[in-house]
Formats: sequence, C-alpha cells, structure tokens
Amino acid sequence: MDASETLRLSVRSLRAHKLRATLTVLGVVIGIAAVVTFATFGASLEADVVSEIEGSSANEIYLVPAAEEEGGFPDAGQPVFTEYDLEQLRAVAGVERVVPRGIVQVTALTAGEETVARNRVTVTEASAFEAATFADGRAFRDGRQEAVLNCPAAALFAGNLSAGDRLTVTLQSGERENVTVAGVVDGTGGQLPFSAFSDRPRVFLPADPFSRTVVESPTVGVNQRVCPQVTVVADPSQTTAVQDRVEGYVTSERSDAARLRPAGYEIRARTNADLVDRIERVVERLTRFVTGIAVIALVVGAVGIANIMLVSVTERTREIGIMKAVGARNRDVMGLFLVEAVLLGALGALVGVPLGVAGGWVATRYAEIGLVLAPGWFAVAVVVGVGVGAVAGLYPAWRAARVDPIEALRYE
Amino acid sequence: MTEGTDEAGVASAAVDGEPSDDVVVCSDVTKTYDGARTVVALEDVSLSLSSGSYTAVMGPSGSGKSTLLNLVGGLDTPTAGTVAVDGRDLATLSEAQRARHRGETVGFVFQTFNLMPRLTAAENVALPLVFLGRDRKERGTRAEELLADVGLADRADHLPAELSGGQRQRVAIARALVADPALLLADEPTGNVDTGTGDRIMAEFDTLHEAGNTVLLVTHERRIAERAERIVHVRDGRVREVESV
Ligand SMILES: Nc1ncnc2c1ncn2[C@@H]1O[C@H](COP(=O)(O)OP(=O)(O)OP(=O)(O)O)[C@@H](O)[C@H]1O
Ligand SMILES: [Mg+2]
Repeated sequence: MDASETLRLSVRSLRAHKLRATLTVLGVVIGIAAVVTFATFGASLEADVVSEIEGSSANEIYLVPAAEEEGGFPDAGQPVFTEYDLEQLRAVAGVERVVPRGIVQVTALTAGEETVARNRVTVTEASAFEAATFADGRAFRDGRQEAVLNCPAAALFAGNLSAGDRLTVTLQSGERENVTVAGVVDGTGGQLPFSAFSDRPRVFLPADPFSRTVVESPTVGVNQRVCPQVTVVADPSQTTAVQDRVEGYVTSERSDAARLRPAGYEIRARTNADLVDRIERVVERLTRFVTGIAVIALVVGAVGIANIMLVSVTERTREIGIMKAVGARNRDVMGLFLVEAVLLGALGALVGVPLGVAGGWVATRYAEIGLVLAPGWFAVAVVVGVGVGAVAGLYPAWRAARVDPIEALRYE
Repeated sequence: MTEGTDEAGVASAAVDGEPSDDVVVCSDVTKTYDGARTVVALEDVSLSLSSGSYTAVMGPSGSGKSTLLNLVGGLDTPTAGTVAVDGRDLATLSEAQRARHRGETVGFVFQTFNLMPRLTAAENVALPLVFLGRDRKERGTRAEELLADVGLADRADHLPAELSGGQRQRVAIARALVADPALLLADEPTGNVDTGTGDRIMAEFDTLHEAGNTVLLVTHERRIAERAERIVHVRDGRVREVESV
C-alpha cells in the first residue's frame, strides 16, 4: 500500500468527522499557540531591548547597589557613592570619565506663566555632557544655578524652552530654585552616559548645589554628597579590565560605597553587554516556564488524540476486518491509523502556529514594541505537533493492526 | 444422485495426492474455539477442490460452514490438520503472506456485502489492488472493467449506501474478482437479497464458473446449492455426505 493512498484514506476518514477532529486537536492547538505566542513575544522583547541598549556605548560601566539575592534588581534609590569614591574611581587605570547620577524629588517646573507637574529631576555633573550633542546652548556648569533639558523636556512647555530661558524648580520641600537653561541636549543616541531610555522628558541639574543628600564618608570622616548611581566611561580598548578593577574597588572595604551599602545589598558593576545577557536570561526563563505549561497542554492534547483514535478503532472494527479480508497487512492498517493521528497533530500545529503569532502580535502591541517573528519555533511547533500525533497514535494503531478479521467481520 | 459418501472417502481423495490441479486441499482439519466452553466448529474435515470446480457447502446453522470458508480463505487458522491452497500450507505463511493470499489468491463474497461505507463502488472494487500495491491507473481501469461486467458501470461513483442490496452484492462480487483470484469464496451471497435478485447473483456465479473460476459457495438453500457441480453436506462440524449434482 503506497503512502499517497494511505494519506488519502486517512484524510477521508478524518473528513467524515470534522467536528470531532477539530475538538480533538484543540489541546495541541492551545499548547503550540502558547509556545509560539511567548516565543514571538520573547524574541520581540529581546530585539527591542537589545536595539535600545546597543544605541549606547559599549564602554560604559554602571555602578549601582542591588539586592543581593539571585536576580535582584538594581535599586537606584540607595545613595552610597561619596565624592571620595568618585575621586578614587577617577584614579583607576583606564577610566576616562566618572559621572555620578542621582534623583531629586520635585513637584513642579515653572517657566514664565507655565507650570508643569514633574516628580523628579536628574542631578549629575557637567562631565556627563562631554560627548553629547546639543540642539541648543551648552552643558551646565557645576556649582551654578543652571539646567540642561533634553528635547522632550523642552517640548513640555509651549514654544519649547531654549538656552537662556528661566526655569523655576519647585522641590518637594516646597523650596523654589531659579535656574537658567544652559542648553537643550539631543538625547537620542548614545552620547549620554546613562541608560538610553531617553525618549522621555529629562531635566538635568548640577549635583552641586542641587543634590542635598550628604553623609559622613567612613573613610575620610567628613560630610560628602552621595549619589546612588555612577557611570564609569572606560577606555574602549580595555572595558573588561576596567570593569574588573572598578568592581574590585567598589566591592572592597576600601570604598565608601561598600561600607555605606545597606545590609543585604551589594554593589554591582555592569556593562550594557551584561544587561543584554541578563535580559536574554529573563526571556529564556520566561520561555522555559511557558514551555512547561505548553508541555502540559500537549500531553492533554496527546491523550485527547489517543482517546479519539481508540474510539475510532472500535467504531471501525468492521472496516478493519473488511480491509484485512481483502488483503490488508497488519502494517497497512497500522499505517492508516498512525497517519490519521499524525495528521491530527500536524493540523494542531498548523492552526496553533498562526494563532500563536497572532497572540504574539497582540502582546507586542500591548507592550508597545515591534513584532519580531521566531521562525525556528514554527519548525519546532510542527515537529512537536507531528510527534504528539505519532506518539498518541501508536497504541491505537497497534490495537487496530491486531484486530482479528474474523471477530471484526462478526462485529456489529 | 449421491456418490462417495463418508468422510473417509473424501479424505482418501486428498491423501491419494490426486493430480495436482487441486486448488484447495483440506486434510483432517479441526477447528475449536476456546471460550467459556470449548466449541468444536469443525472436526477432521478433509476436502479438495479441483481447478475450475463449483462446490456448494450445505448444512444447518452452526454446522461450521463459515468456519470452513474462513480457513480456506486464510482469515483463520485450523487448530489441527492443514489447509493448502495452490499447494501452499496456509499455516506456514507469515502474517503478511497470508494477507497477500487473501488479496490475491482468493476473493471473498459475504452475506452482508462488507463494503467500505466511505468508499465509492469503484474504490471498493479496487481496494484489494491498493493493498497489492498496484498503481492508481491500473486500479481505475480494472475497477471499471469489473463494474461493467456486473452491470454497474453507471454506479461507479456511488457510495454503498446509495445502492440496493443486489447492487451492493454485485459490487462485492466485482471486488472479489478484481485481483483475478484462483478461488472464489462466497458465504451465503444471496442471504440478504430477495429471490429474484438472488437468482441474478447466482447467474453471475454460473457465468464465473463457466469462465473457468473455482468456486466454493456456502448456502443453506438446496435450490441455490443445486447450481453447483457438487454439494458437501456438513453437520456438527463434520462432512456427512458429498453429493454430485
Ligand atoms: N469466534 C468464535 N468463538 C466461539 N465459537 C465460535 C466462533 N466462531 C464460530 N463459533 C462456533 O462454531 C460453530 C460453527 O460456526 P459457523 O459460523 O461456522 O456456523 P455456520 O455453519 O456458518 O452457521 P450459519 O449458517 O448460522 O452461518 C458454531 O457453533 C459457532 O457458535
Ligand atoms: Mg455462516
């Protein structure tokens, strides 16, 4: 019996029970759609984050305290780096620049008659803007009542703020500070040594005088400004070595940061490459979790197919007897039922893949990221669908092949 | 007119090793079924069918007629004794070889037609050729030929459910003949059709016999059995009498 004839007969018996076939493959469809949805979403998320990070430089090392437990996320609200630390870091070999960064809580920004509610501004040093492109003006000077805005922040005000405009910052304490806009920075691209999520409005003030968080440096014993985050810009030819040295410093008791860090926190030195790695690991873990769920759905699907195939063998006992009476071998009968089960599994995959892509598309729309397809997973899905069908069909097909033709022809 | 009489006589005919144009040789065949209680369906049956002969098996219900036919057709195997068809002991065949025997060497016609419900008349006729691995074109032309032979050329694309009982049985006969078997086995082929249709089906068998086919027919109707050259009477699993018509 040739393969095409086996296929034709199997398709025909499936078509005789369309609704039944549809309901049977539902489990497989759900399992495969789930995997493809998350594979698509994961691939899209990864592509989105990676492309954003890749926009900034590879030679920046971010220092930040983070909860010690595995996978603990950075906590940018813990000011631990003192001025002494910044000095020491600047002295590390291969370090080009050290840029502190902190947050100051505010309530509003006022320019002329216009007041805009804001809840935070970034405090840093003029060195942050060394490589930046200015749409207008220049960087602020440390120690002055000046500010730098990025383009989205300048656009918060009607008529766009520009260099020379006056800006009033209302601090959380109710105090008001008058500053002059020194410049408007073009925040796209990697010129700012901060994480590059810079399409949102940002207002930058000089840490001196606006950062009010002060502690006594445990090393030198005098009060100093502290900040929660530091970006170290390394000589591009030795980023990894610099990362090691910098990390060595901030994690040793020689640094104020290590001594000021709250219990349960550690100081981390991360590059963008580390960040990408980390996101990839998160996506991978997500995918593994969903695959686990999908495996359950697929097992349920396989049981469904096996069940319906067993019912089918019983229903068609007489037909099996007829086929055997006119010359069908056991393997012909086995092939027919096996192909039928495999078709059910493959059908599940063929429906599940587009459904999963649709699911992934919805998820990416919801997350406002671009859709990236993961075609490798489509192939996996089809192979899995076929495999589920084959495994589920094996026992029923064996039962069918074993049917005694005499009994079968007697069967009503 | 009654001839050779007891089972011993029949047995000797086979044991003597008559001219080898015997298509079927059953020697001391016994078939028992083990169930709640052991049923002896056939006991020490010996019977040979020469090529081109037309034999009817008669007997009351439960006497073992169908069992005998199934053994000759290779659907079942005897508990003791041997069934040889075309000189080959069916018990020595593998499962696949026995399947081939069913598809190629014998053609079955059953009381209940036994057509595949989802296949058209032509596809039903061609089914044995599918399992013999013949190509689609050959299957198509053979099925067409045989349907024309039984007068159903215009019903080739109909499903069994769309055919009358007599038409279904003619499709079954066409299917039995499609692989050009050495032996045609019919188990009550007229059992489910009216007398007129039954006569037409029997006329079909007459024609097949005249064309040189070897026919083994099971029936409990004397009127039908008398169309054969020879009537084998079976009772309680034993051959009681062989009658020449
Ligand atoms: N699979 C089986 N299991 C148990 N007993 C069986 C089986 N097949 C047949 N028999 C028994 O064997 C005996 C012969 O059965 P068989 O079908 O050959 O009778 P038959 O002569 O064809 O009868 P009928 O004219 O009613 O078709 C019967 O007593 C039957 O009950
Ligand atoms: Mg019977």
